[in-house]
Amino acid sequence: MESSKLLIVDDEENFRNAIVRRLKKRGHALIEADCAESALMSMAKESIDVIVSDIKMPGMDGLSLLAQIKSQYPDCEVILLTGHANATDGVSGIKQGAFDYLSKPISLDHLINKINHAREKISRRKAEEQEALFKESIKHKMIATERLASLGTLSAGVAHEINNPLAIINEACGWMQTILASDQMKSIPRKNDLDKALSKIETSIVRARNITHHLLQFSRKPDNIISDVNMDLLITETIQFLSKELEKKNIHISVQNQSNPVVIGSDPSQIRQVLLNLLTNAIHASFPDEFIEIFISYKKNGVCLEIKDYGEGIPPENLNTVFEPFFTTKAPGEGTGLGLFVIKGIVENLKGTISLTSQLGRGTQFSIYFPCLYQKE
Amino acid sequence: MISIPINILLVDDEKDFVEMLSLRLTEKKESVFLANNGKECLEIIEKESIDVIILDLKMPGMDGIQTLKKIKAKSPLIEVIMLTGHGTAETAVDGMKLGAFDYLLKPCDFDTLVQKLNAARKRKEDQEERIRQAEAKLLLRRSGVI
Repeated sequence: MESSKLLIVDDEENFRNAIVRRLKKRGHALIEADCAESALMSMAKESIDVIVSDIKMPGMDGLSLLAQIKSQYPDCEVILLTGHANATDGVSGIKQGAFDYLSKPISLDHLINKINHAREKISRRKAEEQEALFKESIKHKMIATERLASLGTLSAGVAHEINNPLAIINEACGWMQTILASDQMKSIPRKNDLDKALSKIETSIVRARNITHHLLQFSRKPDNIISDVNMDLLITETIQFLSKELEKKNIHISVQNQSNPVVIGSDPSQIRQVLLNLLTNAIHASFPDEFIEIFISYKKNGVCLEIKDYGEGIPPENLNTVFEPFFTTKAPGEGTGLGLFVIKGIVENLKGTISLTSQLGRGTQFSIYFPCLYQKE
Repeated sequence: MISIPINILLVDDEKDFVEMLSLRLTEKKESVFLANNGKECLEIIEKESIDVIILDLKMPGMDGIQTLKKIKAKSPLIEVIMLTGHGTAETAVDGMKLGAFDYLLKPCDFDTLVQKLNAARKRKEDQEERIRQAEAKLLLRRSGVI
């Protein structure tokens, strides 16, 4: 607020100079203009919050200036100055959105008072706007949380209800396969067709099971088992675990540690799951013979990870939806669309943050922050 | 190689599941007994010589954990593999602390299940073997041979 200036607009030079000099003496930062047109030019260049303008000016008058300001700079407040016999102009100015008007001759204290009031009004309005924004964002978050909470309850129920019949299908299918594989069935007609159909059932069961198990992972709020986390070690372990996939596409992972390792307290097994999932995604997205980079930087009370691939990237329209459940771009049956959703849940459960940036064709970068969860002594 | 069938007791309130899994295991030449609740399970282990129990954790009435406690109190040598259909891995871990051999998420992979069944039976046999040897030693000592 303090950096914003006053703008004094009046065509009468003597009057303007007198006010400007006296206001400057009182420590007000201000700009002056001798007509409405030059006032608007100044406003385009400078940050101005309160305008004190004469109404009667040659060319554009004060009321037109007011209309211009209100449409272009709605955050500014205008105080109008009228000739002493012309209160009606002032009133119509207020009707058009002026903060107030003063009749000439004016008292400087009175003017300063009005300026301060105008500024208070501006800051009050800004605070209200911020509060409204804040409320709006809270509302969004609450809706999202509620949706997730109900999804959690729902998914646990669905998973339970689906898993049991799925288990029956699974055993029935396996039984039939065993029977078909027995000697007495060796030469039945169309055995191949039956085998083929059963193997389709089998793979579909696996597919459905992956979804229900993922959902259960989400709905289950694991108790955090907080212990020392050695991020370097966790990453090395995860890379080892993925070594086959890495070899297959000839992808190299470079780990760069930007500061001395600090042991933080968090849940290693949950972090391992996050790493595993993000690195698997990165490998899937990468082109063969590429690099994946991991940057670790230890902060005072946590650790930041960046996982960067040079793969396909994510189209901008998908950036907001990748964390939503069941969002996937993989072929049906290849991804459940729950991976990143679960990851986000885990990271938030560990009081951390996760975000991503991506450029189509250039690659994707995930930034994750895990705070130290040890109680401060 | 002829393998000796494992005496398996399946406990689950889902009748179709119990039936299908038992048919499948029987097809694989295992010997399978069925129970639809904890009470039936406890009755069967009184009468039959069971090696391994496959126990669903979520059952109406006496639940899996309660049943497990009673099994372990009655016949601590019987190995129990728990089945969970709704992500209660925590409960399963609690069950292992109470003496269960292992757990599987439903629907389970058959090969994994067979592996665990064999491992469970082996543990039971090893334990029984140690007991026999200890008993033999005890007898020898009593009869003054050593």
